[in-house]
Amino acid sequence: MEAAIEVKQMSFSYGKQTVLREVNVGFGARKFSVLLGTNGSGKSTLFKSITGVLSGYRGEVFVKGMPMAKLTHKQKAGLIGFLPQFYQTVFPFTVEDILLTGRAAFSGFSPTGKDYAMVEQVLTELGLEGLRKKRFPQLSGGEQQMVMIGRLLMQDPEIIILDEPTNHLDVYYQHFLMNKLKTFVKHGRTVIAIMHNPTLAYQFADDIFFMLDKTVVSAVDTATPDLQLLEAVYNTNFLHIMHDELRVVLPTGGKFA
Amino acid sequence: MKQRVVYFICYALPVPVILLSLFIGSTGQADAGAALALAYKKVVASSLTVAEEDSWAMIKNIIYNVRLPRVLLTFLVGAALSVSGSVLQGIFRNPLVDSYVLGISSGAAFGAALAMTVPLIPVSLAAFAGGVLAVLLAYLIARSGSGATIITIVLSGMVISGMFSAGLAIVQYISNPYKLQAIVQWTMGNLHVASWQELKRICIPVLLGLVVVFIYRWRLNVLSLGDDAAKAAGVNPGADKWVLIGCATLLTAVTVAAVGIVSFYGLFLPHIVRMMLGADNRKAIPASIFLGGTFLLVIDNFSRSLFAFEIPVGIFTMLLGGPFFIYLMRKNKLNWH
Repeated sequence: MEAAIEVKQMSFSYGKQTVLREVNVGFGARKFSVLLGTNGSGKSTLFKSITGVLSGYRGEVFVKGMPMAKLTHKQKAGLIGFLPQFYQTVFPFTVEDILLTGRAAFSGFSPTGKDYAMVEQVLTELGLEGLRKKRFPQLSGGEQQMVMIGRLLMQDPEIIILDEPTNHLDVYYQHFLMNKLKTFVKHGRTVIAIMHNPTLAYQFADDIFFMLDKTVVSAVDTATPDLQLLEAVYNTNFLHIMHDELRVVLPTGGKFA
Repeated sequence: MKQRVVYFICYALPVPVILLSLFIGSTGQADAGAALALAYKKVVASSLTVAEEDSWAMIKNIIYNVRLPRVLLTFLVGAALSVSGSVLQGIFRNPLVDSYVLGISSGAAFGAALAMTVPLIPVSLAAFAGGVLAVLLAYLIARSGSGATIITIVLSGMVISGMFSAGLAIVQYISNPYKLQAIVQWTMGNLHVASWQELKRICIPVLLGLVVVFIYRWRLNVLSLGDDAAKAAGVNPGADKWVLIGCATLLTAVTVAAVGIVSFYGLFLPHIVRMMLGADNRKAIPASIFLGGTFLLVIDNFSRSLFAFEIPVGIFTMLLGGPFFIYLMRKNKLNWH
């Protein structure tokens, strides 16, 4: 398998608390990979380390075979687009202003005409045409999330890494986004996402990974959910239902009695 | 507000305000009417009596040596303070931040007071050193924890600010009454110190700071979204941040060194600009430069013409800024969430 991102022997700790322990994982190129795991299991730490937002990990990260440490900021921006879990702005920037910041690594001190054309293109692609001049803080949580995904597309990255992209999205937008991500993969991009919904993961992902005991475990077969593994990861019981070719993986609780 | 009106206020208003300010003073001498009448006589009739020649010379002297440097100095100070406020609010993603928060103002005030009491080095140099020292200390304290985050920098800035204020109080307490008066006046902001010499001293550092911030204004947009979002877009926020914080420190310390403390100005002017033009710093920074200069000039005109004696401009900005800020909060126009 050709790996878009390869992590070797990655360990990370906040002070004395170990968060990641010798993680070895490869995310396939032009695949839709999903990482599942509980809150605080180290998913976000892993993604932040991979994307270079966090430094201070041990181990190595390779992007398309190249060591991450050797890439310049600009090279990285063209290869990897990252949606962090939390972002905030207290100022009334317009959607256009926010999207343009996605070009910061390429356009230096001022956005170019091409950047404005990309704003148009990205808004159309995500179906957000009406929002261009709207003020970002006044948008709904779901709209804000879509705009931030748009900002990442402004980098036109080969690899898209998303930390809980379906956060704040209603069920319509959740599926809208998953289908969109699937299309990105079809057009040759690599998508790696942290998710909290096993059903969405099993319906859309090519590869599924789990965060278990501070390291990453791969689901051997994404066609048949490994209920035992899911239960080990989430410490709760699961139900697997097939309904007309449609796979549903439901948490049923049952470990709290 | 209409875009055209906004641009007019920001970019066309400075010219008439500057011209008008040249003819406003606390003495009542050289007001516009008298000056124009004499100028008309001199140019058109080209014959003045001896007494008229005398008063013409005095008017020229007042306008050229007293008011013109003051007007230009005030404009630069206003621009510097408002831009440094915009920069700090953007970087710290906090609309309630200004140069006080990093302790720049208090550090500079302490340095200046110390130099006034123990005259070993020039006041302006001491003020600048104090401001820089305060920022460095704030940063070092913030870093000693788990890395310099926005919160730790703001908190340690407040602590440093408090400690330098205490230091200032000590200096005031031990200094003799004459020096005490000078220090107190200085902490209220004193534009009447203006002279060509003073203007020359601050001109280059202030223009340098303004130009660099102007160049970096789009980068400030990126930084305003937070470190993670900047890194995600492939920008190293550290480098940009230090350039901009360096400029804000330079602008504040140099102006505090020259004219003392002008409170609140760097806090509320960026809000006015954002209310008029929105948050995009590509528009807001140039507007801050011009509106910042013009508005301080207007305030200063009031401060030296409203009463028979001149009220320190720092008191005026505080008196105006307080109610304005309350109004913003009541109207929920602070534009933050």
